[in-house]
Amino acid sequence: MGVTCVCQVPVVEGKSVQQTVEQLHKRLEQLGAVKQGSFFVDCETYHATANTGAQPSKLLYVMHNSETPLSCLALFDGGPTLAADANFDVLMVKLKSHFQNAKGHKVESRGARYRYADFLIKVGTVTMSSSARGISVEVEYSACVVPGDCWNLMKEFMQSFLGSSVPDLPSVFSSKAEGLFAPADCMDTMNQYLELFSKIRKQQVLPGSGVR
Amino acid sequence: MNENSMSGVPAVRVSIESSCERQVQEVSLDGVETYVPPLSMSQNLAKLAQRIDFGQGSDSDEEDPNGQSRVSDWSKQDLEGEEGLVKFQPCSWPWDSVRNHLRSALTEMCVLHDMLSVIKEKKYMALDPVSQDPIVVKTPQVFQLISKKKSLATAGQLLLRGAEKLSKSVAESQEQWRQRDFNAELLHLRSQWKLRKVGDKILGDLSYRSAGSLFTHHGTFEVIKNTDIDLDKKIPDDYCPLNVQIPSDLEGSAYIKVSIQKQSADIGDLGTVNLFRKPPKAKPGSQVWHLKLEAAQNVLLCKEIFAQLSREAVQIKSHIPHIVVKNQIISQPFPGLQLSISLCHSTTDKKNQRASPDKTKPDDHLYVLEHNLHQLIREFHKQTLSSSVMPHPASAPFVPKRLRMAGPMAYDKSEISSLQHSEGLLEKIVKQAKHIFLRSRTARTIDSLASRIEDPQIQAHWSNINDVYESSVKVLITSQGYEQICKSIQLQLNIGVEQIRVVHRDGRVITLSHQEQELQDFLLSQMSQHQVHAVQQLAKVMGWHVLSFSNHVGLGAIESIGNASAITVASPNGAYAISVQRGNIDSKQ
Repeated sequence: MGVTCVCQVPVVEGKSVQQTVEQLHKRLEQLGAVKQGSFFVDCETYHATANTGAQPSKLLYVMHNSETPLSCLALFDGGPTLAADANFDVLMVKLKSHFQNAKGHKVESRGARYRYADFLIKVGTVTMSSSARGISVEVEYSACVVPGDCWNLMKEFMQSFLGSSVPDLPSVFSSKAEGLFAPADCMDTMNQYLELFSKIRKQQVLPGSGVR
Repeated sequence: MNENSMSGVPAVRVSIESSCERQVQEVSLDGVETYVPPLSMSQNLAKLAQRIDFGQGSDSDEEDPNGQSRVSDWSKQDLEGEEGLVKFQPCSWPWDSVRNHLRSALTEMCVLHDMLSVIKEKKYMALDPVSQDPIVVKTPQVFQLISKKKSLATAGQLLLRGAEKLSKSVAESQEQWRQRDFNAELLHLRSQWKLRKVGDKILGDLSYRSAGSLFTHHGTFEVIKNTDIDLDKKIPDDYCPLNVQIPSDLEGSAYIKVSIQKQSADIGDLGTVNLFRKPPKAKPGSQVWHLKLEAAQNVLLCKEIFAQLSREAVQIKSHIPHIVVKNQIISQPFPGLQLSISLCHSTTDKKNQRASPDKTKPDDHLYVLEHNLHQLIREFHKQTLSSSVMPHPASAPFVPKRLRMAGPMAYDKSEISSLQHSEGLLEKIVKQAKHIFLRSRTARTIDSLASRIEDPQIQAHWSNINDVYESSVKVLITSQGYEQICKSIQLQLNIGVEQIRVVHRDGRVITLSHQEQELQDFLLSQMSQHQVHAVQQLAKVMGWHVLSFSNHVGLGAIESIGNASAITVASPNGAYAISVQRGNIDSKQ
């Protein structure tokens, strides 16, 4: 697992989410990327019910990533993270009395997976309660694990098909200690997705963005 | 006191003793009685003797020197005898017998006295020494002999008895050894093999199932008591009370033979590999059954290896399908080359020991691969064993440990697939065979070049640290005698499974295929290039002028192994010029 950058791609004016995604696919294929199956990332939100303190309860997010098919990842908002095996979902059902599943808050991103040499590109449609809300693009450079060493290369590569909407260095990487060997891992990816999902959740529903 | 003299006939002797009561000597004023101490034996005797009225028979007691007076005495006594007896009786004199004895003793003494006096005269009697018996003189010696003989006999008897005991114990121990102990032997067996009791049979397990084998052969043997021994005859040395019966298909000895041959045009002779080996010599101290079981277990393992290989050979799809014929698997690692893996199983019967024509063939075993096959199957066993090993987290799925870690460690797809994918035994062994073949052929190519071409010289340094799939050799090309002037060419050849990677000194990496010709061409090209460089260096040293030098003459793209190069040098005075050009075949001058 290399360095990953997840960003949101704005929907082109006058086009639907689907059309924008297809446009991205086309660009990638023109670049020489090869389609390699599909991917999905989903996120469920849980409220802590048995909250005694005065402060508002933290939200618990349980996420899955098709890139790590046997794992189940749990994250608190800015708090500790946990990687467990798939049985964690069953455990959450058992913990119903402590963590309430917020049904309407399930977010997921599905789409195609492209490979271009050492780059892995995933263009996904973010859906929330069966309505498309936006487009996520994940770019992974698998040849390197140190974000600072390959960020410029990744940026340049992303410019080649995203144009101007290239993000800055993700905050999860910039917060890492400088000079130390701090390899990127799947948690960084999931944090970025979580950030993106919560950003999209806050957005207004885009006009005319139903899944077709 | 004797009272029997009253009855005259001493019928029953009744001894009467004085009472224990002591006589009171004195009673003191305070009432304490002082007793008279009891008489001792001699005092008692004296007391009694005092009572004897010696005066009664005083006539007889008084010795008369002449016999006449005595006679008159006796007659006088006789006269009074009647009266004396009457008087004597009532007083119940207790010392009567004593007196009688004394009297008879006195008579004897008188006779002796008379006789001695007669002898003194030496007229009628004489004293003669008693003639001594000669035997009596010898007696001590005879006695010695006799006693010696006796003691010797006793000693001999003791020894004989000991010998008898020893021989008995030897016989007993032999008997015991014979009986030995089926049970002791069984215990010994039990410590080394798995046994269980089924009904009245004892069955053992020689399969590798407990080690992780999935082979379906039951691999059981039966333990039987060896009773067919004649107790009267001498017991053979290798007699063992315990015998094992192994399944008939595991008897004999077996081994896996791996060999690489040039492809034979005739395929009709396949599957008849039949090589035999002598059974291994028994190590001293190891039981017959142990050897038997070990051999059987080896046969079982060989069978398992072969079964696994043939299953894979059928399942795996390769460009050139693997052929499984009878007890042979044939695979083609490289064109024109065949790898044959065969199971040689020989039963110990004599009929199979016939001299087979195969024996004349050179021994083309690839022992390394045979050994590796055994290692691989054991690794395979270990894998299956460790897959369901306990302890195991209660919440985790039943998968191998590394796969179990995939969830919490968040392995991605490629890592998981690398965990799940495992190469089969056949694939591994074919790869190893390819590598071994490529390595030996590389060595042969270099050696043949080195022996064929004297200038420049080619040296190969083989690294002795290598992997089953990779080894490396360092090749040096030098000109003999000019090592100081011209640098040698150093090449590092990394021999892999399918190809050879050559790392040039300048960092170029050239990949050669398994074709022998490619390597040969490359080495020749390098040697000729070395020659051109040598000419250049030599010209400089000798003061010749280099007129032109080009590493790449000709047109077109640069070939991977290097292009033709040329050099032209002129003599110092310019009278002569030499042009050296090398193509890709050889240098010419």
